[in-house]
Amino acid sequence: MLPRTIDFARRFARNRAAVVGLLLVILVIGIALAAPWIYPRNPLRIVGRPEIWPFVNSRFPLGTDSLGRDIAAMIAYGARTTLLIGLCASITATLIGITVGAAAAYFGGWIDEMLMRFTELFQTIPNLIFVLTIVAILGQKLEYVTIAVGVVTWTPIARLTRAEFLSLRDREFVQACRAMGMSNLRIMFGEILPNALPPVIVLSSLVIAGAVLFESAVSFLGLGDPNVSSWGRLIGDGRTLIRTSWYICAVPGLAIMLTVLALNLVGDGLNDALNPKLRDR
Amino acid sequence: MALLSVLSLCVQYQTAQGTVRAVDDVSLELEAGETVGLVGESGCGKSTLGKAIMRLVPATDGKVVLDGEDITRLEGAGLKAARRTMQMIFQDPYGSLNPRHDIGTSIGQPLSVAGWSRHDIRERVAELIAQVGLPADAARRYPHEFSGGQRQRVGIARALALRPKVIICDEPVSALDVSVRAQVINLLQDLQERTGVAYLFISHDLSVVEHVSDRLIVMYLGRIVESGRSEDIWQQPAHPYTLALLAAAPVADPKLARSRRKTVLQGELPSPLNPPQGCSFHARCPMAQERCRTERPMLGQLSGGRAVACHYDLLAQPAELPRALSAAR
Repeated sequence: MLPRTIDFARRFARNRAAVVGLLLVILVIGIALAAPWIYPRNPLRIVGRPEIWPFVNSRFPLGTDSLGRDIAAMIAYGARTTLLIGLCASITATLIGITVGAAAAYFGGWIDEMLMRFTELFQTIPNLIFVLTIVAILGQKLEYVTIAVGVVTWTPIARLTRAEFLSLRDREFVQACRAMGMSNLRIMFGEILPNALPPVIVLSSLVIAGAVLFESAVSFLGLGDPNVSSWGRLIGDGRTLIRTSWYICAVPGLAIMLTVLALNLVGDGLNDALNPKLRDR
Repeated sequence: MALLSVLSLCVQYQTAQGTVRAVDDVSLELEAGETVGLVGESGCGKSTLGKAIMRLVPATDGKVVLDGEDITRLEGAGLKAARRTMQMIFQDPYGSLNPRHDIGTSIGQPLSVAGWSRHDIRERVAELIAQVGLPADAARRYPHEFSGGQRQRVGIARALALRPKVIICDEPVSALDVSVRAQVINLLQDLQERTGVAYLFISHDLSVVEHVSDRLIVMYLGRIVESGRSEDIWQQPAHPYTLALLAAAPVADPKLARSRRKTVLQGELPSPLNPPQGCSFHARCPMAQERCRTERPMLGQLSGGRAVACHYDLLAQPAELPRALSAAR
């Protein structure tokens, strides 16, 4: 197994942009993990004069917002929220997507028909409106935002999983498993899934980036969890001052942009490393 | 009672263009420890027949009786038990092993499905690896590290794992190099002598089948056209189609090959969607007559356990043979 891992790392490293993306993602994760040590107190606490510009006061390297809260602290804590929601939403979406896609392709017939119509139903609803509706119904809590984002982003994963399963379902090793009386569940998840997984993992990593954007949009509109710091919320709070203190929006905006970019680069790198045959096309 | 009896088995597919009768009213018997060869062109339904016997494709009609038990309608635990008695070797040694499992896992899978303990599986896998002539360290390596012939040995080991009484070999050597073919065939025969397993050996290559089989079954367009003991058929085919197949088989001796009469069949295999009226072979048959175009011949029993589906079989009319051959030339 070890040589495979080294091989994988080498193929990933061949994509320079992906390595940069990975370093950025690691940096964001590091900030998120270190936040409670750097800023032991509540980041939403008022600490100084309002609207101090970045790089003016060394106590507030990224300045303070309109209420006098430390932007650097909020960015650090916001990284926790953003990454957590991104990751959990992506896992939720992947679990739903793989289950639906695998069942549709493996069983075929009317099950396939029904599940695919169900998937299309979800695709026809505009994503952001769907997320807002779910959050509005369930309530403004972190868990519900995560679930909402997961529920709207699983459809491409389901379609991709289905396509992969369809091409693997009739392969001889699957028939051999059926011939030895293996159960459907074990064939689906123990035999076919490991072969179908690489492209799905790539898509899941891209879904994290999408989830970060959704979370920001929800928070920007003021529907996020009011008790936690979040990048989108920071932009939303700062938007009234955009003519004078534009940095309040720009700093978290830059953080979102870099994180999403980095996640996309990592996704591309994973694609190169996991699907080496597609690379040179 | 034979170990495996297939009675009037039919497999039909519904397609947009209509019903395809991939296997049509096929009956055969397999005794313990013997090898029955099943030959025919590509697309004649021989692989479908094998898969229908294995219950990998649903049979539309007919019965499969294994060891005295009708397995055609079995489900769940009953079917699982039946699958321990009957296993399959697949054609494509590259496609029949999961690339994500090491060889030991692949071979041990039937045992794990049957509920063996880890320790027992490891012991049996080591035994099987030795039995099929793979290197002892093969268990921890992956399929891409092996050649086609070695992978087919893995497939054979997996089929043997639960000591089945019947193995359906679906073109086990067709995808292999000629040089490796003989090794795999010898291995199969060797294993048969040691374990007493019975083979249903499916192939489009008559020279391979003739070499391993006690009895032969020739299929054409989903039906059996001739069956009987191997050497009888090899020496004197009764059906014009078998004659053509035999003439197409390669011969090792070039002198013999040159002296041979060449009977090359005209035309293609008709579409199973729209099989010809009467005898399905009449359009390509060098001796077809008016009756063949209208009336379908039934599989009739001849002496010595042979059966042939032809109105004018070559045994009944030996005088016809030269005419048939010259017409074919």
